[in-house]
Amino acid sequence: MATKLNPLKPIRVWLTPPGPNPWKVVFLFEELGLNYEIKSFSFADVKKKPFTDVNPNGRVPAIEDPNTGLTLWESGAIYQYIVELYDTDKRLTHEALNDRHLCNQWLHFQMSGQGPYFGQAGWFQHLHPEKIPSAIERYTAEIKRVLGVLDGALAAAKPAAGDGARWLVGGKMTFADMAFVPWDFRLAEVLLQSWDEVWEGLPHARAWHERMVELPSWKRSMEHRARLMDEQGLQWNGVPKGIETFTEYEEKIARGEQ
Amino acid sequence: MNGDLENSTPLQSMQRIALLGSHLTSTRNKPSHKMAETKSDIHLYTAQTPNGIKVSMLLEELGLPYKVTAIEISKNTQKEPWFLDINPNGRIPALTDTLPDGSPVRLFESGSIMQYLVDRYDTEHKLSYPRGTAEYYEVNSWLFWQMGGLGPMQGQANHFARYAPEKIQYGIDRYQNETRRLYRVMDTQLSKSTSGYLVGDRLTIADIACWGWVAAGSWAGIRMDGLDHLNAWLDKVLTHPGCEKGRHVPSRHTMLDNRNKTEEELDKAAQKTRAWVQQGMKEDAKK
Ligand SMILES: N[C@@H](CCC(=O)N[C@@H](CS)C(=O)NCC(=O)O)C(=O)O
Ligand SMILES: N[C@@H](CCC(=O)N[C@@H](CS)C(=O)NCC(=O)O)C(=O)O
Repeated sequence: MATKLNPLKPIRVWLTPPGPNPWKVVFLFEELGLNYEIKSFSFADVKKKPFTDVNPNGRVPAIEDPNTGLTLWESGAIYQYIVELYDTDKRLTHEALNDRHLCNQWLHFQMSGQGPYFGQAGWFQHLHPEKIPSAIERYTAEIKRVLGVLDGALAAAKPAAGDGARWLVGGKMTFADMAFVPWDFRLAEVLLQSWDEVWEGLPHARAWHERMVELPSWKRSMEHRARLMDEQGLQWNGVPKGIETFTEYEEKIARGEQ
Repeated sequence: MNGDLENSTPLQSMQRIALLGSHLTSTRNKPSHKMAETKSDIHLYTAQTPNGIKVSMLLEELGLPYKVTAIEISKNTQKEPWFLDINPNGRIPALTDTLPDGSPVRLFESGSIMQYLVDRYDTEHKLSYPRGTAEYYEVNSWLFWQMGGLGPMQGQANHFARYAPEKIQYGIDRYQNETRRLYRVMDTQLSKSTSGYLVGDRLTIADIACWGWVAAGSWAGIRMDGLDHLNAWLDKVLTHPGCEKGRHVPSRHTMLDNRNKTEEELDKAAQKTRAWVQQGMKEDAKK
């Protein structure tokens, strides 16, 4: 642990609590034990100043690292930066060129293959006021396909000596594995299925995911989320307090009240 | 040291990053990597699509020799077992190569392929910045912005505007509006750039990653008016001979011609592709 380069000044992460993407970065900070601080703000303000001065694209997360003067956005780019600069003992990455790029490959797959499609499924399933079955089906099918690709890759991976755990690259957990957790964590909600249904036929992906959510770093991340959601008067699923169900929330949105 | 950083100019802090970076890379730069590698055993599996041409444009710009296998997406070659061995995700592009020690490299995801290629072969930083500089990381912001935003959102615009079995106006609007928003973000970034490229003073993998998508904007039904810097950039990228050559791999790039076509003509042209997309969706739904 001692060889880790811990930044002197806290790295600031800008986030809005409900969505999964910012928690990807917090998870990494927690797992590396880095010096960081959270700047939590309301989702209604992501496309406004001052945040758009930090990220012209108006999406969370973004980071400001006072130790280097760098401002950076897109969680994938933040992952690569943090790992390159601060994971000096290479606990969550690999030294060899090939393995390093395999980690990057899975990170890109997460960024382009998992995130956008899980996000669209969530939108059409919960937030869009009118039900469009073909759109829900399209994105639900894509989620299952992506989970299938992951399950296949894990099935082909050599189980680690000792606990027999399977990881995407090089026999140990890396940032590439971690990047998938925040969206997978929301699968029951996104797919409107029970946990068993979500993972049916995907034993390797399930074991992989469940191993990671047991980590103290993930649990701490979710404690921070719970606290910050509460601060903004939001329940766990993003629905404002006082509204019981998603259906009720959806009806309110449909009536234009939210 | 704290005080130093607080008062440092942007340049000083960039040097600081460079310092941090070189500290970190010193163990990584094995002597054999100091010189640009010119021998290569690169094999690209690709098709004439925005994601496919990213890699051929980059390879041409780097002047690297490579073999090409054209994948017929409409015949689902990308779902055949031999291809799934290279890319279990069943999509193009994919790339194979050999390391100096003889071990094989197999990569998918265009973004990671591009990062690999500049990391290993662009040691003179023609199209990239040295690891540890601010620009190096800013390029990655834009690269992931393309991978996680522009590509998927414009892909969905294509789907609802061109390929979906039923016309869902909401789906068309949602993704065309988001894509147009992303184009505006890019246009604003380019308007602030003195070089006309996304990051710093040169063409990088961030520009190349976005080019095929923006060039296909009309196909996705995105209005291209009022985006002066973006339109100028579209032409500027093609002044690089490698980009011009690489966009025609494995066959002619014709997307720019769509800029003058009517909606009716575009719709007619979509019919062929519509058939395979819908077939693919049916097969996925059965699984
Ligand atoms: N994020 C991936 C996306 C790749 C992708 O969408 N490839 C398309 C062509 S542009 C494809 O192969 N589609 C075939 C299919 O889905 O069956 C990348 O950038 O490499
Ligand atoms: N299975 C795909 C087939 C079409 C396809 O592969 N499209 C590519 C573009 S050629 C895409 O949207 N890629 C998204 C990306 O690159 O992120 C779908 O239904 O959208």
